[in-house]
Amino acid sequence: MRETWFLFRHFWKADVRAQHSIAGLVLFAIATVYAAYQVVQGRPEPETWNALAWIILLFTAFNGVSRTLEEDRSEVLAYLRTTVQPLHFMLARTLHNVVVLTGLACLVVFFMGLLLGWAKLDGMRIAGFVGGMALTAVALGTTLTLLALIAARAGAGFGMTAVLGLPLVLPVVLVSTTLGSELMSGVLLADTWHNFAFLGALAAGSGVFGAVLFPYLWRAS
Amino acid sequence: MSQSQETTSPRVWAIRLVGLVLLGYTFFMTFTVPLGPGIEDVRVNRTELTEDGAVYEVEILGHGTHFTTSEPRVFLRRGDNVKSATAIKAANDESLKCRIRLPKFVPAASFDVFVNGKQDGTISYANGFFATGLEAVAKAKFPSNPAILANLEAADLDFHFPFQPNIMESIRNLMLHVPMWFTMFLLMGISFAQSIRTLRVGGDLDRDQRAVAAVKVGLWFGVLGLLTGSLWARFTWGAWWVDDPQLNGAFVTVMVYAGYLVLRGSIQDAKLRSRLSAVYNLFGFCLLVVLLMVLPRFTESLHPGKGGNPAFSSYDLDSALRAAFYPAVLGWMILGTWMYRLQLRIEQTRERIAEAQLTRTNMPLALLFVTPASTSSLESVFMASGKMPVVVGVAVIILAGLGLWWVRTARTLQRLSEEENTLNGTHNA
Repeated sequence: MRETWFLFRHFWKADVRAQHSIAGLVLFAIATVYAAYQVVQGRPEPETWNALAWIILLFTAFNGVSRTLEEDRSEVLAYLRTTVQPLHFMLARTLHNVVVLTGLACLVVFFMGLLLGWAKLDGMRIAGFVGGMALTAVALGTTLTLLALIAARAGAGFGMTAVLGLPLVLPVVLVSTTLGSELMSGVLLADTWHNFAFLGALAAGSGVFGAVLFPYLWRAS
Repeated sequence: MSQSQETTSPRVWAIRLVGLVLLGYTFFMTFTVPLGPGIEDVRVNRTELTEDGAVYEVEILGHGTHFTTSEPRVFLRRGDNVKSATAIKAANDESLKCRIRLPKFVPAASFDVFVNGKQDGTISYANGFFATGLEAVAKAKFPSNPAILANLEAADLDFHFPFQPNIMESIRNLMLHVPMWFTMFLLMGISFAQSIRTLRVGGDLDRDQRAVAAVKVGLWFGVLGLLTGSLWARFTWGAWWVDDPQLNGAFVTVMVYAGYLVLRGSIQDAKLRSRLSAVYNLFGFCLLVVLLMVLPRFTESLHPGKGGNPAFSSYDLDSALRAAFYPAVLGWMILGTWMYRLQLRIEQTRERIAEAQLTRTNMPLALLFVTPASTSSLESVFMASGKMPVVVGVAVIILAGLGLWWVRTARTLQRLSEEENTLNGTHNA
């Protein structure tokens, strides 16, 4: 556990130190929301709002997980391979991605509200939507971390992550868009809790899966 | 043929023979078992509103019925309220005209239509009649007339498939379309098991070959399932593709496995490739289970067996269908595993050649997407004679698809074994 925490802080520090990587992601998220704002010209219909929010989150997530950290240089990886256990590496990496994606999700939903209005969301439903988005970010983070590592291992980049990942995150997208449109149509937060449970289950499931399978990717050859 | 070719044991050949016999039986049953009689449509030709009610001239279109010899009786029913029709005249075996007189106040606006006759027994059409121009009042009741429901003729039918409105003859597709998916599940399951064993030993090229062979054949069945499903959907739901959890799940599953082949194509090192693709394969199979077996049950679905129903209910599957469906599934599965062994032989021969040449050749993935032409005259052809042409179309797609696969496989095996022979010849010389 301490090892995982240490590695997580290590990734985090590397991210903060590099700056351009995380700043690029933030800029990407904001710029995409702004582009959407320009395209729909003002306040969109609730359905459009919902679709835009999830699509932007999805694209941001793919960008977020498939960037290469300074720590991914082969020398550093070779060093880590001899010093840390794969399980700890995977947990720390997943945690790192989850934190970054959750932050980005909050950012996206904040700028959506600022530029495009809140459509038909109000009060508790805004909180519910933000919560749903954060949970989706967690689920995307756990699923995509493994795929990004597979793609990186195959020597292919963003394109391969998208090819492998888009079909695999579809259950998550399905559940979260349902949650969004239910909140839009005025369903009470208490009546959509099962969607949160689904998202949590998907996140937990893919997290466990990644932790179990990652050691097989970790070997040198 | 090559000297290194494995010999197949007589037991395996016996199983394959059983599979072929089962498939022969399947096609025989699919195309020869008659469909039970049923009502295709109920039309109101003329409505005459009077002061105390209305008189409707109704035409009932049957399918596989014997109206001229069956002495049919027609009645409407909603709950306990029954009303019989008068002036029943059979135009021919599949068309019946009658008159229905209803009072001004009726218990409901729509009624189920029943036809009872000597030869066909009781056939019905749910909500087939709509009482236009009358007032539906919950308190209104038809005067009780037990004579209407007395002495109903029981049907004495031969072995037949059940008639369902809208689906009609195309219910025969159950023996063709559905086993495509079952076979795909089986093959992906084989691939899943081989991938687990690949990972257990940290990258096993032999197991990896088995996994990829199973995926390639399974994908073929998946694509055939999509094409046949699309054709069937067009003539039952009215569109080539409908937004439905089951359909989307199937499409995404096919994409996931196509992604598996793309991933394999991008890795040069064989050992690394076996491990990475095995990890992805495990992930993909779990997604298949979630997408095709779990998620559709939590949502509304047009697809039978879904939308809360864990399996075929008694409405969908009766004894005649079971007698044809279960052997069909087994037959298609045996064919699928046979194809898997052949594909495996291709993979193995290719690997041996590559080792001999010390070069790798990538085979391009050729997925054939056929979009059938959509013209109104062609579509009306499919709707004719109880949608029987849909079954023929589905059978043609499957036979063409599998035929294409067998021709390709035979040619590839031939070519590879020739290549191997020449290679061995040059090495020996």
